[in-house]
Amino acid sequence: MANRLDITPMHFWHIAKRANMADFAGFNMPLWYDTGVKGEHLAVLRSAGLFDTSHMACIRVKGTDASKLLNYCFTRDLDFLQPWRCTYGAFLDKKGFCIDDAVIYRFDLTNFMVCVNAGMGPTISNHLEENKNRLNAEITDLSGKTAKIDIQGPNSAKILYSILNNADTIFKEFPYFSFKGDFDSNENEFESVTLKNNTPILLSRSGYTGEFGFEIFLEPSKALHLWEDIFEVGNSFGITACGLGSRDSLRTGAGLPLSHQDIGKFVFKNHPWEFALPYNKEKTGFTKSFIGRQALMEGKNSSFTLLFIGDSLRKIHPGDSSRVLDRSGKDIGWVLSCATDMAIDYLDDKIVSINSPGLPDNFKIKGLSCGFIQANEKLKPGTVITLKEKKREIKARIVKTIRPDLTARKKLNYFI
Amino acid sequence: MKELNDLNLPEDVRYTEDHEWTKASGDHVIVGISDYAQDQLGEIVFVELPEVGDSFSQGDEFGSVESVKAVSEIYLPISGEIAEINESLEDAPELVNESCYEKGWLVKIKPSDASQMDNLMDKTAYLDMLKG
Repeated sequence: MANRLDITPMHFWHIAKRANMADFAGFNMPLWYDTGVKGEHLAVLRSAGLFDTSHMACIRVKGTDASKLLNYCFTRDLDFLQPWRCTYGAFLDKKGFCIDDAVIYRFDLTNFMVCVNAGMGPTISNHLEENKNRLNAEITDLSGKTAKIDIQGPNSAKILYSILNNADTIFKEFPYFSFKGDFDSNENEFESVTLKNNTPILLSRSGYTGEFGFEIFLEPSKALHLWEDIFEVGNSFGITACGLGSRDSLRTGAGLPLSHQDIGKFVFKNHPWEFALPYNKEKTGFTKSFIGRQALMEGKNSSFTLLFIGDSLRKIHPGDSSRVLDRSGKDIGWVLSCATDMAIDYLDDKIVSINSPGLPDNFKIKGLSCGFIQANEKLKPGTVITLKEKKREIKARIVKTIRPDLTARKKLNYFI
Repeated sequence: MKELNDLNLPEDVRYTEDHEWTKASGDHVIVGISDYAQDQLGEIVFVELPEVGDSFSQGDEFGSVESVKAVSEIYLPISGEIAEINESLEDAPELVNESCYEKGWLVKIKPSDASQMDNLMDKTAYLDMLKG
């Protein structure tokens, strides 16, 4: 008998809007709505998109040794993480493989929240418990007890401005990868950020689209109300409900990995996300001891994860049956992810996005395929490759970044 | 996503298990993908079609349709030679979503054995298949 799928607090809204729903990591989630993946993708670059990401899981880690435990299990050196800042990294096993990637939020010296992927709450909680030994750390899996809504795109701040109490104060000094407030009524900062209806939220200036925006954590019982309020205010700004389809094409264009697809099957190194490893300044070693360190130091992984952009918007199926060929036709790897970023194109020899300044009049952006390959040699940017799956072949080239002119890191004031 | 009973499934076309449709038109047979297929694929951003004059057997892959996320192969419902392709799909692949039985047709073929049409499903059989 098939297992019943979990649902989020916005489930019946998605159904009422006749979203195309699918199973994703045990959750019944919207893939796209009436607007379609292309329109949803473009809405995030042009105005704002709203994503139900309540399938993701949160874990609270508290105690005098919370920092020590997380530092041992996570790839980022949390000694460098200030309170009210968050950081992206990974939980590795002893072989150096990625169990899951995550964002860790630091409230103070002894209080952290870990946000992991759908269905990974129990796995990472157990992993932390198993490595706790005598450390003083209390681990609470908040799976099912947290809702999450992401608002992404240039109009995100303007829309939230009308929904938040004291928005001016909250938006002051709010850099990328920082957060404010809490949704847990047992915590000190509870109610320091509230909606106009006085619902407490944790508001984080982050996201997984490469574009400016926020992630909002709150109690599940309050989530649908917020979701609908955001639409009420956001409609005049052209806000668009976005499903997992555009989330995938946006994150691919932003050069961000999908856990269990782009990371996880091999040692977590030689990839575009090495900023997530605690290298010392000279990159000769690591600043701390952590699970997987030995495997990374031994350098057993001789393959490389590289970004590519296709010559057109045409794609191939990624996965084990796909191949990457070099100019001489030699098989050098396979394709991990392949999506079309509908917001980019070639202008002469340069990649531009719909947000790039100075585009010629009447220049029509058609979109380009993009993604990640796993290659057994390091290829320089500009290297031409062929991606092949069965009879289908597309030409692509290795790049350092995919979608240009990303807005995620811009100052908040720019968008108000 | 459309409910099965809301699908536009014309009576005057024949359907395949892979969700293509086909319809006789003079000496030729027109081929496209069904309303169910376009709804499941989502927004189509590229259609790859064969050259006029190419020949295929029944069930051969003759092209592909791409959404933002996925590539789906399309298979020829009956054997024949490609007589015409829908060139308007090059600039407007979304026609497959907007009008899958009219403006969004894919190819016209000169069938080598028109009786193969008899093996294909009518609306009732196709809907029964979709309902499982």
